[in-house]
Amino acid sequence: MKSGPAIIVRDLRKKFRLSQSGAASLKTALLWWKRRKYVDLDVLKGVSFEVGWGETVALVGRNGAGKSTLLSLISRIYKPTSGTIELKGRVAPLLELGAGFHPDLSGRENVFFNGVILGLTRKQILERTPAIIAFAELESHIDAPVRTYSSGMMARLGFAVAVHVDAEILIVDEVLAVGDYAFEQKCYAKIDEFKKAGGAILFVSHGADTVRRVADRCLWIKDGQIEAQGSPDEVLAKYGAIHVEELVEG
Amino acid sequence: MREELRELWRFRELLWSMTERELRIRYKNSVLGFLWSLINPLITVGVMTLVFKYFLGQSVGSYTLYVLAAYLPFLFFQFALLDSAQSVLQAIPIVKKVYFPREILPLSQILANFIHLIMAFCVFFLICTVVWARHPGAFPVQSTVVLLPFLLLINLALSVGLGLLVSALNTFMEDVKYILSAVLYVGFFLTPVMYFSESVQHAMGSKGKLGEALYLVYHLNPMATLCTAYKKILLAPTPVPSPGKEGGTLPPLPIDWPMIGVAACVSLAALIFGYAVFNRLKWRFVERP
Repeated sequence: MKSGPAIIVRDLRKKFRLSQSGAASLKTALLWWKRRKYVDLDVLKGVSFEVGWGETVALVGRNGAGKSTLLSLISRIYKPTSGTIELKGRVAPLLELGAGFHPDLSGRENVFFNGVILGLTRKQILERTPAIIAFAELESHIDAPVRTYSSGMMARLGFAVAVHVDAEILIVDEVLAVGDYAFEQKCYAKIDEFKKAGGAILFVSHGADTVRRVADRCLWIKDGQIEAQGSPDEVLAKYGAIHVEELVEG
Repeated sequence: MREELRELWRFRELLWSMTERELRIRYKNSVLGFLWSLINPLITVGVMTLVFKYFLGQSVGSYTLYVLAAYLPFLFFQFALLDSAQSVLQAIPIVKKVYFPREILPLSQILANFIHLIMAFCVFFLICTVVWARHPGAFPVQSTVVLLPFLLLINLALSVGLGLLVSALNTFMEDVKYILSAVLYVGFFLTPVMYFSESVQHAMGSKGKLGEALYLVYHLNPMATLCTAYKKILLAPTPVPSPGKEGGTLPPLPIDWPMIGVAACVSLAALIFGYAVFNRLKWRFVERP
């Protein structure tokens, strides 16, 4: 296992500029009296934390608190307004399973393509395709176009690809509960295996059970800042005292 | 820019795979996929031949081949720009979920069209061979065909530069694609695809100094220079029927190397400018209002 932290986030800030007049067009650019009005929104207001190797950290918080923005920033989807993010290993972002799937291509072609997007070479992905198909339990459908898949099948295939790309850091946004009960158990087993191998995981969840089951540490994000951090039980107790209704679902 | 190019090189596998996927989607669901995509230009050129050669009496030997030599690259240019204009916008769902150098989106569209152009040129040489077999004589393709890769390279640089530019702009202002298709439509008539640059020079020449200046301005469009160059390096010089005089012809002009040099410089400038604009805007794609 590597020593030191896997993810270091320092004083991360993100400001979004929201427009009130919808999509841009040449008309609004030319008509100066209809200049678009902007509202600046501070989504993250200085967040600092670390995730160590072999550690799993859960983010909890209400909708709009900035959890997903934080994960997107770490996945390099957005550029921070200020602050730094250091990643000491290869990242596999699972912000949405199968996000890059093309409906007209077969499952096999999509596995190939998704693997390449997540940073594998062609050779590596071809070697791993059988293992991915077996994990997703889609042997009989793999050569059919993905548009014929159910959403559960699609999510299974996406998860299977993501855990086979040799990432050292997993960024997961509420996608653990995919497929049926049996597949969910398989996902948890895979995540435990990943932790044992020394990988770092940062994930968002609204399910208290998932957080307790998987996380070593928990961060509560409120209004773009860290409100509390510590062991899952401790943080969930504080969070739950205020937001009982969300924890009931978990 | 060096940093960005290194990042792009790191993701080259993704670029090849996306290009391949693009071609596969285009030719999917039909055995004759590639041939179907060639039928449209062949019909168009057939109609142009009918109109120009028989209705208007522009009796140039194998007019079809001359038009095709310029029309195939023009079609590449046109589709490369139209496809890249849409590329980022169409992929916004992926762009919001996974990191990869965003320039791969327009680049894969342009490369797919470029590979298509190369295959279309193979068919072009096949047609030349058929014509030669039916009308024995000198083989229609000249030895200067070895210069074709240079022209293709200039054409590619121009398309990549403008493609990056329109894809970045169209992501924020969707009017760009409508303006683009209007410009390309007009541009087709202002580019010597279905006529010859000799006719343009003749028409401008009768206007004195102003005409000469206009002739130069006309060729500031790199596609105009390139289309003429494609015809001249691929096929034998041909006299062009002169307007006005019955049966009169204009002598063929030689290959204009300085003009091709200018086109190369303009294309390179477009490439650098387009990439710079794209890099400035690419982080804002996901935050687009």
